[in-house]
Amino acid sequence: MSEVGFYDVRMIDATSTSIVLDNGNIEEISVNYSKGCGARALCGGSWGFTTAEGEFDLKAAIDSASELAAQMNNISPKDEVKLKPVEKPVIKNIPTAKIDPADVPIEEKVQLLKDIEDHAKMDGVSSTSAVYSEASVNVHYISSEGIDCEYSLIRTGFAISAVATENGSYQVGRESRFGVCGFELFEENDALALARSAGETAVELLGAEQAKGGTLPVILDPELAGVFAHEAVGHASEADLVLEGSSILADRLGEQIASPLVNIIDDPTLHEYGYYPFDSEGVMSSKTTIIKDGVLNSYLHSRETAQALGGTPGNSRAQGYSEPVVRMSNTYIDNGDSNFDEMLEEIGNGMYLTGSRGGQVNTGEGIFQFNAEKGYLIENGEVTRLLRDVSLSGKTLEILNNVTLVGNDLKMHSGRCGKGGQLAPVSDGSPHISISKALVGGV
Amino acid sequence: MFEHAQKAIELAEKLGADEAEVYISYNHSISADIRKNTIESAKENVSQGIGIRSIINGAVGFASTNNVGRIEDVVNISVSSAKVRDSDPEWTSLPSNAKYPEVSGTYDKRISKIGLDECIGLTGKMIEGALSVPGVNTTSGSFSTSFNKHLIMNTNGVEIVDEGTGVSGFVDVITTKGDISTAYDFEVSRSLDIDVFGIGASASSLAIRSQDGISIEPKKTDVILHPFAFSDIFENTFEPSIDADNMQKERSSLIGKKGETIATSDLNIIDDGLLEGGIETSISDEEGTPSQRTPIIEKGIFKSFLYDNYTAGKDNTSSTGNGMRHSYVSSPSVGPRNLIVEYPSSDVIADTDEGVFINTVIGAHTANAISGDFSVEARNAFTIKDGQIDKPIKSLMLSGNIFEMLNKITGAGSDVRKVGGTVVPSLRISEMSIVG
Repeated sequence: MSEVGFYDVRMIDATSTSIVLDNGNIEEISVNYSKGCGARALCGGSWGFTTAEGEFDLKAAIDSASELAAQMNNISPKDEVKLKPVEKPVIKNIPTAKIDPADVPIEEKVQLLKDIEDHAKMDGVSSTSAVYSEASVNVHYISSEGIDCEYSLIRTGFAISAVATENGSYQVGRESRFGVCGFELFEENDALALARSAGETAVELLGAEQAKGGTLPVILDPELAGVFAHEAVGHASEADLVLEGSSILADRLGEQIASPLVNIIDDPTLHEYGYYPFDSEGVMSSKTTIIKDGVLNSYLHSRETAQALGGTPGNSRAQGYSEPVVRMSNTYIDNGDSNFDEMLEEIGNGMYLTGSRGGQVNTGEGIFQFNAEKGYLIENGEVTRLLRDVSLSGKTLEILNNVTLVGNDLKMHSGRCGKGGQLAPVSDGSPHISISKALVGGV
Repeated sequence: MFEHAQKAIELAEKLGADEAEVYISYNHSISADIRKNTIESAKENVSQGIGIRSIINGAVGFASTNNVGRIEDVVNISVSSAKVRDSDPEWTSLPSNAKYPEVSGTYDKRISKIGLDECIGLTGKMIEGALSVPGVNTTSGSFSTSFNKHLIMNTNGVEIVDEGTGVSGFVDVITTKGDISTAYDFEVSRSLDIDVFGIGASASSLAIRSQDGISIEPKKTDVILHPFAFSDIFENTFEPSIDADNMQKERSSLIGKKGETIATSDLNIIDDGLLEGGIETSISDEEGTPSQRTPIIEKGIFKSFLYDNYTAGKDNTSSTGNGMRHSYVSSPSVGPRNLIVEYPSSDVIADTDEGVFINTVIGAHTANAISGDFSVEARNAFTIKDGQIDKPIKSLMLSGNIFEMLNKITGAGSDVRKVGGTVVPSLRISEMSIVG
C-alpha cells in the first residue's frame, strides 16, 4: 500500500455583503461571515478531499483527507499520479481597493443602488431589480512541499435588470459590472448609464421582430464573441477534459484549428474579475496563449494535467472549500486589425448578434448553443431591423474556421462560470468578429 | 451548532428585534468521482451554518455564518440591517407553530451508515454498467450519498427539526470508435434504491445509438421530450411564472390567469411537499410552514401560484409551503417543492407516425423566463417513423414557448422520472418548430 505523498490545504476567511432592491424597495440586506478549509491528499493514484468549516482543526483536516486517499487507493489502486514541480509563488502587483467598501456606510450603498435602479425605469418598463455585492476574502495556502502563501482580495459589483411589458409580451434588459476592486468601481463605470441602457434594451425588444432561423453570415459583438471564446474554446482547452476524453481539442496541439486571424488567450494576471495571484494549488498565475494565429498552442493546466500532458500549471481553481478543478480566468480573443464597417461591407446580408443571455457547450462533441440578447438584420451592408430571441449554435471548430475578420475593439465582460457544480469569477472578451456561416435559431 | 439556536433568538430579541428566526443546517456527504473509467477521488464534506432573520417594524435583516464563534456578530448584524431599512407595511409575521404532517420515504438509515468502501463499490458498478456496452468510455461521473438535518426556530413558537438522506449517481460517456457521440444519465433518490449499473448501461447505449446522425430539414412536427429534456425547459420557463413573487412584481405571464384554461384539459400539475420519497419532501418548508399538496393546473385550468409566507401575506392568502432557501446563507424565497406533471399515459412512441424524440437539451437556462420563449440545442435526438425510433439526428435546434406547449401536449409515456424535484413522464407535443 502506498503512503500519502502529498497534501495541501486552502484556508479561507471571507466576509460578503449583498443588497437586493426590487421596484425601489430593499428586498434584502444580507451579510455572511465564513471561515473554513479545503484539504486534499494524494496517495498513489487516488485523491482524498475534505472540508472543515468554522474554527477548524488543521491537522484533523489533513489527516482526514489523507485517510480518504489511502482508503481509496487501497480499495481501488491505480497508476501513481505525479504533480508538475512548482516554485513558491511571488506575489506582486495585486489589485487593491482604492475605496474599501467596508468604509462606505450601508445607507450610502442603498442610496446608490436606488439611483441605479431609478435610471432603468422609463416608459414601458414595468419592473426593475438591482443587486449590489461586495466580498473580501483572505486565502492562505500551505502544502506538504513547504509552500506557504497568502493573499487578500476585494471584489465589488452590481447588476441591474429591467423588464418591459406590452400586450402580454415581456422582454428583459440586463447590465452588470463586477471587478477585483473596491467602491471605486462606481467611479470607473457609469452605473447610471448602464442602468438606462438595460431599461432601453427591454423596451426596444418589445418592438423587435422574431428572428427567422437559418444558416447565415453573422457578426458577433465583443460580449457574445467573448462568450464564444470562453464557452466553446476555453472549456474544450481545459486539460482535465482533454485527459478524460471529453474535449474536441484532444490530440490537436500544433494543428491549425482556426482561421489564422484567431488568437485566444487566458490571462489570470489581468486585473479583471477572473484575476488571481496564485491558483488553488499555490501556483503563480501566468498568461496562456490557447490559440496562436489559428494554431492550437496550449491547454489550460493543473499540476496533475501539466505533468501528464506537458504544459504549465496555474489554472486550477476552486469555489470556497471545494476541490480544485482546471478553470479559465480572463479569457479573450485578441485584437485583429479590422473595423465594424469593413465587416458590414464584407457580409452584405446577414445578422449582427449582440449581448449574451448565456450559453452551454458539449466539449466532447464540440457543439455549443448561445442566446444573444439582441439581433439585428444586416441588409445590403447596413444594420436594419431589431430581432429578438436569437440563438447561435454550431460546431466550435467550424465557427473558428469561418472567422473572416477580427476587429480591433477588444472589450472584457465579467461573469461567473460554472463547472463541476462550482462557480468561479471570470471575465471574457473579444473585439467584434465576423463569421462567414453560422446556424442562427429563432422561434 | 444546534445548541446555540435558542440563545441566538434571545439575543436578537434583546437587541430590539420584534420577531426573530434561526435556520441551522447540517450536511454530511460522501462521494466518489469517476474520471476516464477510473474512480479517481473520494470526498467527505461536512458543512453546517446558521442564518438569522430579525424583523423590526416589518423590516427584515439577514446574516449568516458557518463559524460558531461569530453567531453573536451575525445576530447583531441582522438586527442592525433591519434597522437600516424602512418599515415594510406588507410584512405580516413569521410563520406560527402549526400541526405538521408526517412524511415517508425521506430517510434511509442504510445511507446514514454507508462508508467510503460501499460508495466506491457502487461507483464501480456504474462504470461496469457503462463499459458493458462496447465502444464507450466513461469520461466523468460521481456517486454520492448525503445526510441532512435542519432546524427552524422562531419567536412565534416554530421549532422544527427534520432529517433526511439522499443519494445520486451520474455518468457522462463518449464513444471511442467511429463517429464521436456523447450521452449522460443520472438518478437521484432519498433511498439507496437507484440502479447504478443501469445508469451506466443506459448512458452508453444512448451514446452508441446516437452515432452517425443524419441531417433533417427544418419543419413543424410532433416532438416527444424525454423527462430530462422536458424538465430542463420546464424549470427555466414555467416554474418562474408560478412564483407568486414574480407575479406580484409583474414578471409572470400567468398574471390574472387564475381560473382560466391555460393547458390541454388532460393535464394536471401539482406542487407536492408531501410526495412519498420526493427529493423536495419534508414536513415543512424552510421557514416552518407545514408542507402541503397544491394543485397548480387541474384539468388544464390554472389554479394557484406558489407562495412563501411573505408573498402570501401580501396577497391576503396562506403560504403554500414554498418558502425555500438555497442554503443557510440565504433568507427564504418562493421555490417549488416536488412539481408533478400528470398526463394520461400510453405507448406514446408507438402512437406517433412521424416526429422527433429528444433526450436532452442544452442551453435551456437561456430561455426568456417571463414570456416562456426558448430556443435550445437538442442532444441525443432521433427521428420517429411509423411508431418507432428510427435514425439519430446530428444537430437540431428546438424552439417554442412553454405556454403554447401546454396546450399542445397530446401524449405521455409511462416512464415517469424524478428529475430532481420535477416528476414527469416523456411528453409528446404537436407542431414544434425544429431546425436541423
